[in-house]
Amino acid sequence: MVRRVVITECAAITPVGYSKDEIIKHLIEGISGVKKLRIDDLLSDYIHCGVFGTIDYPIAYDFKRQHRKTMGPVSYYACQVAKEVLKKSGLNNDFITSGKLGVAFGSTHGSPSVQREIYKTFFSESRSEFASIGAVDYLKSMVHTTAVNITKMFGITGRVISSSTACTTSSQSIGFGYEMVKYGLQDAMLCGGADEYDTTTVAVFDNLLACSTEFNDTPHLTPRPFDVQRDGLVVGEGAGAVLLEEYESAKKRDANILGEIIGFSCNNNGGDLILPNIDGITQTIRLGLKDADIGADSVDFISAHATATKMGDVIEAQAMGRVYGDSPVVTGLKSYMGHTMGSCGVIETIITLYMMHEGFIAPTLNLDTVDERCAMVKHAKTLIESNIDIAAIQNFAFGGVNTCLILRKAGP
Amino acid sequence: MTRDEIRVEIIRVFNELFEIENPGNDDDLREAYEFDSIDAIELLGEIEIMLASPLTQSEKKKAMEIRTINDIIDYVESLSLTRSKGSSNPGNISP
Repeated sequence: MVRRVVITECAAITPVGYSKDEIIKHLIEGISGVKKLRIDDLLSDYIHCGVFGTIDYPIAYDFKRQHRKTMGPVSYYACQVAKEVLKKSGLNNDFITSGKLGVAFGSTHGSPSVQREIYKTFFSESRSEFASIGAVDYLKSMVHTTAVNITKMFGITGRVISSSTACTTSSQSIGFGYEMVKYGLQDAMLCGGADEYDTTTVAVFDNLLACSTEFNDTPHLTPRPFDVQRDGLVVGEGAGAVLLEEYESAKKRDANILGEIIGFSCNNNGGDLILPNIDGITQTIRLGLKDADIGADSVDFISAHATATKMGDVIEAQAMGRVYGDSPVVTGLKSYMGHTMGSCGVIETIITLYMMHEGFIAPTLNLDTVDERCAMVKHAKTLIESNIDIAAIQNFAFGGVNTCLILRKAGP
Repeated sequence: MTRDEIRVEIIRVFNELFEIENPGNDDDLREAYEFDSIDAIELLGEIEIMLASPLTQSEKKKAMEIRTINDIIDYVESLSLTRSKGSSNPGNISP
């Protein structure tokens, strides 16, 4: 049994805003969400990168204590977007708790801020005689904390998938959720990812010389995907959730169909855990198109992974050039908010849905001079009024994991 | 600690940590306030601080029978008396 899978609701907390209107405003006006790295009295003094894709606006949470007690900051983000999606979806509680709805949600590594508190107990002089690791610290910090705090909060009893594959975490969530619905294992899936503010992630990339360091005094000018002056990625925070439903039942209940997922691919480079691999990425793109049963010339827009690292952008551009030539318009959405890690795939999917709906393509921010090694594709350098019918969202992760999602605009 | 001092301290913990304001002395904490096993473990940590003494595993296991505020006060009072008699066995604690 193969069924059509549609996206019927979405929500994102991003460095460029929470609401659809706010996010679109940032895209259209070219406003960056990258700010200075906060002083954290732990690592920030030792990190060369001084910028971060930051959520610095208040979010009005109203979670009950029974739910809050097992939530670290990453789960606050996750549950907030999940709550908004379920509320707006109009799905009734009988369906939500029926077992027909599953959850595919993850983060890079649970809640690092809670893990940090656990580790502090090993070094703290105070309370050392007592059990100072809290009873809920594991529940707050474990890798699948986002997924199961969502199931707990809403009484969801279906399948749980909790990918934790760094930058492909939430694109896998959507892809695996899509397959659950497509093949009839679930009728709906709540999919996404989240990551909280964390300087340890910055330190990891900083050590690998992969972080941007030349724009610490002008954070809005970095990252610079595909630009000749790019000097690395910028770590960010955020969350996003999408609701996937089987097309016929969504139509029957008159759900608001935002778009259709028509293809997904996921593979591994089968080798190095860090270096980008042109063959692996090329194969991912081709497998995505094959799953969607469309030709490369059908794709109008590509949301590139485009982290603004020296080699990653070149390899991705070359892979896109191999498969697509210079036909689809390419944007690197991380240029607006940095790399939101486990949530980047779902945030970029949601922004692509917004652009499909509103009929425009945002340019890659800070792309002033295209690196000639990345010039074989059609870069969006200015705001384009354009009708996107089919879009591809590409994400690649440490560990050699690659994903490609293919979306089609909502239609009959 | 006196029984009254224990009561004041326990009510403070319930207010501040569990956001349960002025629970009834004989209310079933699980039924009335969704106070669960995770909360019970958190409460034991607070009791250790209150007594300035770690609890043994067997003492902690006894706490799993607790259902009401009065049960908690009885439990802490008993631990307090044991410690004031100097007969507690705090277990494997580092110096």
